Amino acid sequence: MKRLDVLVIGGGPAGISAAIAAGKMGLEVVLLEEREFLGGQLVKQTHRFFGSKEEHAGVRGIDIVTELTATLSGMPNVSTWLEATALGLYEDGVVTVLHQGRMHKFLPRSIVAATGAFERFLPFENNDLPGVFGAGAVQTLMNMYGVKPAQKVLMVGSGNIGLIVSYQLIQAGVEVVAVLEAAGNIGGYLVHASKLRRLGVPILTHYTVQKAIGTSEVEGAIAVRLDDRWNPVEGSEILFPCDAICLATGLSPLGEILSQAGCQVKYVPELGGDVPVRDENLQTTRPGVFVAGDLAGIEEATAAMLEGELAGLGAARTVLSQRASPWSEEDLEKRVQDLKQKLSGLRAGPVGEKIRKGLGRLRPAGESGEDVPEKKPSPQDQPPLEELWKTGIPTPSQLQRKLPEEARKQPRPFAVVECFQQIPCDPCVQSCPVGAIAPFSTINDIPQVDFARCTGCGNCIARCPGLAIFVVGYQPEKGKATVSLPYELLPRPKKGQVVEVLDRAGRVAGEGTVLSVLDSPRMDRTAVVKVEVDPELAMEVRMVRCPVENVNAQETQQEHLAQPNEEEWAQDPTLPGDDTIVCRCEDVTLGQIRELIQKGFTTIEEIKHVSRCGMGPCQGKTCSPIIAREIARITGKPLDQVKPAKTRPPFGGILFEEVVRSEEESDGGEAYEA
Amino acid sequence: MRVQQHPVLTFERGARITFLFDGQPVEAYEGETIVAALHAAGIWKLSESPAKHRPRGLFCAIGHCSSCLMTVDGVPNVRTCVTRARQGMVVVSQQPRGDLG
Repeated sequence: MKRLDVLVIGGGPAGISAAIAAGKMGLEVVLLEEREFLGGQLVKQTHRFFGSKEEHAGVRGIDIVTELTATLSGMPNVSTWLEATALGLYEDGVVTVLHQGRMHKFLPRSIVAATGAFERFLPFENNDLPGVFGAGAVQTLMNMYGVKPAQKVLMVGSGNIGLIVSYQLIQAGVEVVAVLEAAGNIGGYLVHASKLRRLGVPILTHYTVQKAIGTSEVEGAIAVRLDDRWNPVEGSEILFPCDAICLATGLSPLGEILSQAGCQVKYVPELGGDVPVRDENLQTTRPGVFVAGDLAGIEEATAAMLEGELAGLGAARTVLSQRASPWSEEDLEKRVQDLKQKLSGLRAGPVGEKIRKGLGRLRPAGESGEDVPEKKPSPQDQPPLEELWKTGIPTPSQLQRKLPEEARKQPRPFAVVECFQQIPCDPCVQSCPVGAIAPFSTINDIPQVDFARCTGCGNCIARCPGLAIFVVGYQPEKGKATVSLPYELLPRPKKGQVVEVLDRAGRVAGEGTVLSVLDSPRMDRTAVVKVEVDPELAMEVRMVRCPVENVNAQETQQEHLAQPNEEEWAQDPTLPGDDTIVCRCEDVTLGQIRELIQKGFTTIEEIKHVSRCGMGPCQGKTCSPIIAREIARITGKPLDQVKPAKTRPPFGGILFEEVVRSEEESDGGEAYEA
Repeated sequence: MRVQQHPVLTFERGARITFLFDGQPVEAYEGETIVAALHAAGIWKLSESPAKHRPRGLFCAIGHCSSCLMTVDGVPNVRTCVTRARQGMVVVSQQPRGDLG
């Protein structure tokens, strides 16, 4: 039995931040990570992060991991156990852990659970064919191992994950045939959508995938339009030739160890499903057990890191109440308040509305909220976004607001900041050497350019995580204009090269001559391409295409914000056929589940007993959300009243041999001393 | 298929190794998972479903779904999406379930 101060379960952004926070308090901390490396999903995130400077804004996810692990490795009192899975948390506080073939028992004084989330599976015909991938799997293959997931991918889901992964696919040399979105609006940040649109990727709102075509592998997909009541519209089917369908239809929090341990869990659709009930310090209903990150509610990594630190400090305080602390109680409290304020700030804008609502549901009635009220946007901040939400392309009137007056358009170039949505992000403010982008009052502000100050230097172009800043210059004496734009693809255009220039929808608008391609370590792999075009194209051109489509093409012959509303989904008449696979492990179909529900089996637990759904190796991670929705649909019960299945240890596979070996060796067999 | 050049990432690939998959040699780089190497070699079918014998491919790639379970060096039900390939490894697909023999 290993006794320690704080046990952190999960080595993603939340878990690492928790371990660092508790480690700074001088406590003995063990950080458990299931995989062979730390970082969780951050290790696959090649894009720059949003947020503010203190929270790694503008830094690529892959580089944030390096920063976090460097801090961790300088802490002798924090030990990291890789390939270590927490199997269960018992009544007496013991946590069983499988570590590289041996089972260990830990008795921590406090715990931070940060076990993340699991990708949702989607019921549609042939959804189990090879070539139907979760978005995370696609990222693992291409960004960790440099393996192309497929040639042509249909993306299902336009939340940030769907949009970001689509862009990353193109960076890896894969074609994205379209992005489908079942809801009426694009789910993720509009800047991510615009990035895809100017590369020519269509985003179809009110569309979902109906069927995967193929017998041994995906050979195509049929998409269908949904009407306002989510009914498929007959005759609206579109056939997409593709060899992969990538599902980015949301994540489910992975908190099985908490429900097993008796922590109260509540169904909160805005947070992604069943989440632990906790107080404002992230302590669950079981004292000494804290939570952070996606298992506490699906959000993005910046929030996960802040929550991680908050939970880590909370766990440390539990221990420190009996001991001398390296920080004064006053300092500690100050930091805790600071973290809470940052989290509130991050969630204060319109994109945080869902999270605020979800967190509100977790609070006991009458208790005041931890979140600051949303700042009322002034009309200038918030132009009507309706069209933009559907297309990812700003309207002329929206663009007009981003431009200087006629007199300022010449002779100096000027920055056009095509950022229309209040999202938590401010690197552009820091990037401007002349202060032409006014400091924000809140992190969710929309940048405003002071054109009297703007010199058109273009420093901001490569610093914008959304790749939404362009510099336009008119040269009437030459009868030409220049457009400087961010470029993160291969091959890079070359100086003097004549290239096709593309508009915001990826259509060829004409030709242009590349004047320069700037790249420096400070620009961190985002090049700035300056192209000379006809003046009338200056406000149209937002991308260039090199003659060779992609270097990787030669070989073959290259957070999670909006999800379809759960409550609506439950009444969704878009019924996939009875043959649709619900449980991949045990081959259970939707038809079998429907029959059981009709017979009166109306909890996931009952269905599990008779159908084996949830008894396979994935332990119900894939099938449970689908079964819950089917029960809700047929019985008419609200989703939060569909009882989840009971969770039992061990979480993850363990060999009998490993149990036996541990019992025979010293620590596992030792009796628990109270 | 592998990504040869990438605008943001550099892939530091390990030594070239070979393992056997259902009797066929498959090339891999040291450090990558069995599934990554299979996928690069164009092998997408990883298993068959237990009742309907439908082909199953990679789904989650983080060791949580059951689609990639294989017998590796005689040990059944190994999660090949999180298990690194090693020189000379013998990997056998399970059709459908693993067997201790």
